[in-house]
Amino acid sequence: MSRRRATISFVVVSLALVIAFGTPAISQTPKAGGTLNITQREDLPQGFAIHETSTISTVWPAMPCLNNLVLFDPLKKTESLDTIIGELAEKWSWQDNYRNLVFFLRKGVKWHDGQPFTSKDVKYTFDMLREAPDAPAKLRINPRKDWYTNVQTIEAPDPHTVIFHLKRPQPSLLMMLASGYTPVYAAHVPPANYRTACIGTGPFKLKEWRKGEFVEFVKNPDYFVKGRPYLDGLKYIVIAERGTRTAALQSGAVDVAFPGETTKTAAEQLKKAVPELAVTPYSQNVNDNIIMNMKKPPFNNAKVRLAVSRAIDRRALVQAVHQGGAVVGASMAPKPHGFWGLLDRDLNALPGYGKPADEKPRAKQLLAEAGVTPQNPLKVEMVTRAIAVYVDMASFVINELKQIGIEASLKQIETAQWHATATRGDYQIGANLTGIGPDDPDANYFENYACGSPRNYSFYCDEQVMKMIEQQSQELDPKKRFAQVAALQKKLEDDAARPLLDWKLDYFVHRPFVKNLIPHQSIYNFGRMQEVWRDK
Amino acid sequence: MVASPVGVPVDLVVVGAPARPGWGTTLGRFIRRKPLGAAGGAITAIMLVTAVLAPWLQTHDPIATDATYTLGRPNAEHWLGTDHLGRDIYSRIVHGAWVSLLVGVGSTLMGSVLGGIIGLLSAYVGGKTDLITQRLLDILQGLPLLVLALVMSASLGPSVRNVIIAISIPIIPRAARVIRASVLSIREMQYIEAARALGVRHLRTAFRHILPNTVGPFIVLCTAQLGSAILVEATLSFLGLGIPEPYPSWGRMLSVSAAEYAQKAPHLVLFPGIAISLAVFGSNLLGDALRDTLDPRLRGSR
Repeated sequence: MSRRRATISFVVVSLALVIAFGTPAISQTPKAGGTLNITQREDLPQGFAIHETSTISTVWPAMPCLNNLVLFDPLKKTESLDTIIGELAEKWSWQDNYRNLVFFLRKGVKWHDGQPFTSKDVKYTFDMLREAPDAPAKLRINPRKDWYTNVQTIEAPDPHTVIFHLKRPQPSLLMMLASGYTPVYAAHVPPANYRTACIGTGPFKLKEWRKGEFVEFVKNPDYFVKGRPYLDGLKYIVIAERGTRTAALQSGAVDVAFPGETTKTAAEQLKKAVPELAVTPYSQNVNDNIIMNMKKPPFNNAKVRLAVSRAIDRRALVQAVHQGGAVVGASMAPKPHGFWGLLDRDLNALPGYGKPADEKPRAKQLLAEAGVTPQNPLKVEMVTRAIAVYVDMASFVINELKQIGIEASLKQIETAQWHATATRGDYQIGANLTGIGPDDPDANYFENYACGSPRNYSFYCDEQVMKMIEQQSQELDPKKRFAQVAALQKKLEDDAARPLLDWKLDYFVHRPFVKNLIPHQSIYNFGRMQEVWRDK
Repeated sequence: MVASPVGVPVDLVVVGAPARPGWGTTLGRFIRRKPLGAAGGAITAIMLVTAVLAPWLQTHDPIATDATYTLGRPNAEHWLGTDHLGRDIYSRIVHGAWVSLLVGVGSTLMGSVLGGIIGLLSAYVGGKTDLITQRLLDILQGLPLLVLALVMSASLGPSVRNVIIAISIPIIPRAARVIRASVLSIREMQYIEAARALGVRHLRTAFRHILPNTVGPFIVLCTAQLGSAILVEATLSFLGLGIPEPYPSWGRMLSVSAAEYAQKAPHLVLFPGIAISLAVFGSNLLGDALRDTLDPRLRGSR
């Protein structure tokens, strides 16, 4: 072949490849400037006080104002120990076989009011969270106190070093510290102030919170990451009604949806109406579950709880309530969305996860053994949060319970009262959603199943389970830990501690010009907005 | 036999008022004179029958979900289709009629009776009592019906009983005004004066001799308020402050997820919307016709 023919052949083949596979992707250079209009599903229930809430309604709009020690990389979809990056901590190091965690803090970081950030702020925040005897401040509500039960002391030897001394090894502590639920508060600001204002170190400073209408942030010019954030500002617009939110996305009144609130059907509708919208399906790390108050009859009877669990057809719920936009799983997010999920074979063997034709008669039998008969029916009041996704689930469950002879009425509770009601145990049975910060057993089990945890709404307390939780937490061999977590999941469903129904998927929607806003495998960890920019 | 002054035997003279026409005749005359009102009456009657016979008219359990047929279009099994949870819309509308009627009639009666008693006593007693009562009612009437119902419902919480109370309270001042106006004219009549002269006690005079004569305005008031009450109930339910899920209510059927799925399954909003419109339209037509018929100043108007 002549040299000329070879050159022509190369050019032709190259052109053919380009035509066949398109032009190579060109990485875009981020542009600075502009404001994003972002959906907010309800007014901020506790202002910006992330440590006093357990809802995305607070975490989503408060995250841009604050920083963690470490955070899951906003540009990576998957969350694991390998995707954790430093925020206020520049570096960190495990010492003494996962018993001491040392953080080396950034220098020159300032709070939004101009005060310097030091190790004192870190010690103050985490002593307050773990309710240390000498903690200088106390939170009104401390839902994730049990995340830090293994922390023995926190030491701040100099202004830029902090050491977490642990009682026993706990590699997962870093996962919890990387969650959006774990910002560092300013030591010179009383924690109650975060309910109405936000003094953080984050990429955006609070400009205005007009209650029930919007929250507005402006760029923090002194942000410690040079060149960030790209955006000039953020505006979270409160739109309480679900249909109106969809309409706002369709019309362009908002650029970004609220995490966890776009159903599969709504996303399909939006995509049909505005084909250029970006829709990203992802796992929310939020599950639908039933909480039953074990302090009071009738749910102090394990047979009644198990009957409730067996009565609910989980696969039908996924189809009816979520139109297929959820997956059935036990207490850890199922694969491939989560790392710790049970295999299908193990899942189907759990009570309530089998065929409805088999499960419902067994549920009736359990009720009969507990003394519930057609002549002596069980009437209960089900509570749920006054948000459409909760109400839909509760409506479905009420019908399922009716089929085994439990008559339930529904009481809707506003968000502001919901967590307090559940924590106090002022209910019989509830249709609940539980969001787990990171996909990690420690974050889930210490928070939701440990004896005495404020988020253990069912008041389930089992000595064996507590041992199993502790055991998996300090296990350093990943395979052994996986097996221990599987056993724990099985035990919890066998006890109907908090029957799991499904794990929700979200169909996150934003305008095509919104760049670098990447949903993770949990709705709670990607709201910092530091890397987000507008291609417009 | 005694002869009459005109020479006709007395036992042949027909004395007294002409015989009262029967119900059939009255109804026939009403239909001829007020065909629109009759149509309204028919719609209201159909709604009443539907509400009472709901358990027999339903084709499915109104709260039963069906995961295999969500957002289903109307067909032979589900006449008006299914909602996002697979619940039969026809059965929910039929049961929703009961809820709407219960709330509509309950709140109208409660508000009208309470308002009527206040209006009666206020007008009968008169003086400062009347003045103070009317100013209080002015304040209450100054608040829009929906706003007042929203505040009441939000503070009392969503339940059938609370919704009835929430809607009835704004009706009170309207009813009080109407009944007061009637009582003011009736109390000046000679038979009331005669009763007083005979020593009849005040309460007996008010409730035995005046109240029965306000029945006409009362009926008109009730039918006129019925439509508003049904609409307010639908609005409260639409806003999440009405009848709690999963029990069917027309307003809630419009709100819960219907707005989200309206493009994909328009029947979700179409049929409850038609039901609400028909119910309100029917009761308004009937109310107008009754007002024209029972009010002597408007009698004969079309």
